[in-house]
Parts: sequence; structure tokens; C-alpha cells
Amino acid sequence: MGTMASPLDLETRNETRKDHFVVVHPLDDVPETKVDTESLGPMAMTRSVRFSLLSLRAYLILMVLLVVYHVVMLAR
Amino acid sequence: MENKVLTMPAAGLDTDLLPVRGRVVKSKWTRDLLTFLMVFGPGLIVMVADNDAGAVSTYSQAGAQYGTHLLWIVLLLLPVCYFIQEMVVRLGIATGKGHAAMIYQRFGKWWGLFSLVDLQAVNFLTLVTEFAAINLALSKMGVDPRYGVPLAAAGLVLLVLTGSYRRWERTVVFLCLLDFAWFWIAFRLGPPVGQIVKHTLAPSMPAGGITADLMFLVIAIVGTTIAPWQLFFQQSCIADKRLRFADVKWARLDTFLGACVTITAAVCMMIAGAASQAHGFRFTDPAQMAADIGTFAGPLMRNLILLMMINAAVLGTTAISLSSAWAYGEVRGWPHSLQLPWRQARGFYSMYLICVAAAAGIVLIPRAPLQLIILGVQVLAGVILPSAVIFLQLLLNDKELLGEYANKPWNNWVNWTIIIVLFILSLILAAQVTAPNLFPSAVGGPTT
Repeated sequence: MGTMASPLDLETRNETRKDHFVVVHPLDDVPETKVDTESLGPMAMTRSVRFSLLSLRAYLILMVLLVVYHVVMLAR
Repeated sequence: MENKVLTMPAAGLDTDLLPVRGRVVKSKWTRDLLTFLMVFGPGLIVMVADNDAGAVSTYSQAGAQYGTHLLWIVLLLLPVCYFIQEMVVRLGIATGKGHAAMIYQRFGKWWGLFSLVDLQAVNFLTLVTEFAAINLALSKMGVDPRYGVPLAAAGLVLLVLTGSYRRWERTVVFLCLLDFAWFWIAFRLGPPVGQIVKHTLAPSMPAGGITADLMFLVIAIVGTTIAPWQLFFQQSCIADKRLRFADVKWARLDTFLGACVTITAAVCMMIAGAASQAHGFRFTDPAQMAADIGTFAGPLMRNLILLMMINAAVLGTTAISLSSAWAYGEVRGWPHSLQLPWRQARGFYSMYLICVAAAAGIVLIPRAPLQLIILGVQVLAGVILPSAVIFLQLLLNDKELLGEYANKPWNNWVNWTIIIVLFILSLILAAQVTAPNLFPSAVGGPTT
């Protein structure tokens, strides 16, 4: 295994020749542009999102009530 | 294979960035293998760390009470844990951010805070159970836990303080690979292969039918195989490792292999429990099970099971503490990367340190209410899991956020089925709490 230190641009790296491939560890690679989540803001409240969150609230309230009930029963 | 290492500047980017270091290979096959090995890690770690001390206890108890009868349930959980974690892979790679940050940004402060507080609470209680397991196993090995537990805690803190993600990952992957010892344990103790295959592939009910104990154990198995911290951990891990869009297929493979390893290890733990039951021992805890197995399989086997129990707890502790530290760092906007040295990410590392130190400290308190803590873990995990999976499912259907990486219709069918089953199991657990006589009690002790 040899070492090559000649500078190459990204195009050369990506344009793999038939008999050579360059493999780069993610931590050594140029950071990728990801989805810009900050500019998106909160999720749009479509009917399915609203229904899911409402079901979740109902489920959480039910669970809390059950835990309270259980604690009260244990305390008796 | 003639590989080369090449270094090139990151074209068009800030000069303070590290130059790109790559490896030149000649064949496509070598390129794929090397890429996979570079991407490999988060999927295996999250899955194997899921077989933590609580999981060792649950699986071995299931084996000790019902022999190999519940193996098919474990096999059913293979696609379940893969599909859930695969969504995390896509979300992590597309956004480059952790799960807690995504919930905050897309669902607002209230849900963000709810998820964070719930995660931190359940994680902390789980950490206490990890150290309780270390305490138990060390005591059985004749090591004074007053020295052993702080030593384990110190080792766990040093593990992350190297300022190198790669160093942490390599060490943890090594610990994950030690899990293969469970295969040897099962091979040495195992019942006939035919019986294992039969009970794995053909669903069967233990003698006695559906009882309250059986339902509780089934829910515990599902709860221990799919844990909320896993979602937060893997997404943050992927973000910290800076996996790229091109890595999606390798990260999926990593997750799938991890799921296969963890499910097979779970089967082996059940087989170990079944072996102790076959020799007439009654299950109390996994450390006692190891001691019982030692009476007929020798001291080497006893110590190996105890060491594997400690290894499971260590893996669980580092992964769970990191999921807490990453989540808190993301929400607070602190620097939060294992690549950063201590002085540049004090808040992140302090959070990890506090989690580990406090959990270890509680375990060393004489007469600490560990049973109450274990119950608290089950209750909180039951509450957070369906909600965490719902957020995940909504985020994965967010086309504005994920574009082509959003869920396909078949993904949604699979995932909603999983969510509905999880909700039903949670509700059964809740119903059992309120109406303890909902299912008949087991009659006549364990079955084979």
C-alpha cells in the first residue's frame, strides 16, 4: 500500500477511472450539504399530523391517569 | 490488492478544513468492502447495545420460565427493530442532525421538551439498572463492587474523552464483537438444534396458554428489543460520524447486520435460561442464573456469563449516556461531538459524566430502591416508546424535509402496523396494571 500526496480536485475523485476507485472515510471527507432544517420551520399541520398528535395526547393522558390510579391503589 | 492512500485538499472549501484523505483501490469489490467498513459502526453498536443488562435479564428469564417456546417472538422482532432503525438512518443522513433537534424544530418547543425530559428520565433510570447489573455480576465474581463499580464508571468516562469518534467507535465495536461469546455459550448449553429451529420458526404457545406472566414477559421482550434511546442514539451517532447520502445503503446493511447479531444473541440468552431451567433451577436474576449454570457447566462458563453480563451493561451505559448527552447538547445548542476535545465541548461531556457518575453512585447507596427504579423504567419506557415512534413516522413522511428519502407507501404500511402493535401492547400492559386478573395466573410453575 503506497501513499499519494498529490492534490486532486473533487471532480477527479468522483470521476472514478475504470481501474481505480477512491474511498474516503466520512470523517475525512468534505462535509456534505444537508437539508436546511432551520429554514423549514415547524411541520405543516396536515390532517394526518394533527390526528396523530391528538391520538398521542389522548394516549399520554390515559397512561398518566392509569399510573395515578395504580399509585392510589397501592397507597390504599 | 494494491491500495494507496491519497491526500488532497478539499476543493472550494474553507482552508481550515482538513484535507480529504482517501484510499485508492483497484477493484469495485474492494471499494465496496472498504466503504462498508468505513461506514460500519452505528448500526451494529445501537443494536448490540440494546442487548443491555435489562435485556440479558429479560431474555434469560423468558428462557428460564418458558424454555425455547418464545424464540419465535424474538425472531419476529428482527424486522421490527430493523425497520424502525432504518428510518433513523435515512433521517440522520439527510439532515445531519440528531433526533431531539429534529423534534424540537419540526414539532415545536412543547413536544421537544416532552421528548427530551422523558428520554432523560428513562435513560437515567436505565443507567441505574446497568450499574446494578455490574454490581451484581462483580459480587458473584468475588470482586468488591465498592471498587469495581467506580472503576467501571471511570473506564466508561475515559472511553469518550479521547476526542476521537473513531477511537470510541473502534473500542465499542470490539466490545460488541465480544457478544459472539453468547453463541458459544448457547452452543455448549443448548438443547437439540431441531427443538431450537422448531420453536424459532413455528410459533407455539407454552403449556398453560396465555397467562398474566406470559403477557408481561412478551411485553417486556418487545420493550427491551425496541427502546426509545436507540432512535436518539443512532441518529446522533450518524450525524457525528458525518455519514453521507452515498452511505445510505451501507448504513442500512450495518443496521441489518446489527439487528441479526442482536436477535441471535437474544436467542442465545434465552437458550442459556432454558438450560438452567432444564437442570431444575428457578430464575431469580441473571447473575444467579450464571452461578446455577456454573454448577453443571463449570466455573469457566459461570464467569463467562457474568463477564458477558458486565459487557452488556457497559455497552448499554456508553450508548444510553451518549444518547442523553447528544440530545441535550443538540437542544441547548452546545458543541456535541466525540470528535471534539473536552475543552471545546464541556457541556456535552459533563452531561455524559453526570449520567454515568450519578447512576453508579446510586447503585452504591446501601438499600437503594432498585426494584422501584426497574418498575419506573418499564412505566416510562412504555410511555415514551409509542410517542417516539410516532414522531419518527411523522418526520419520515415529511417530504418537505426528506424529499426522496421520505417513506414510501410500503414503508408506511409496515411502520403503522408496528406502531399499532406497540400501542396495543402498551394498552395491554396498562390494562394489566388496572385489572390484575385480566389474564389467568400461571398454574403449576414453569413449562417446557
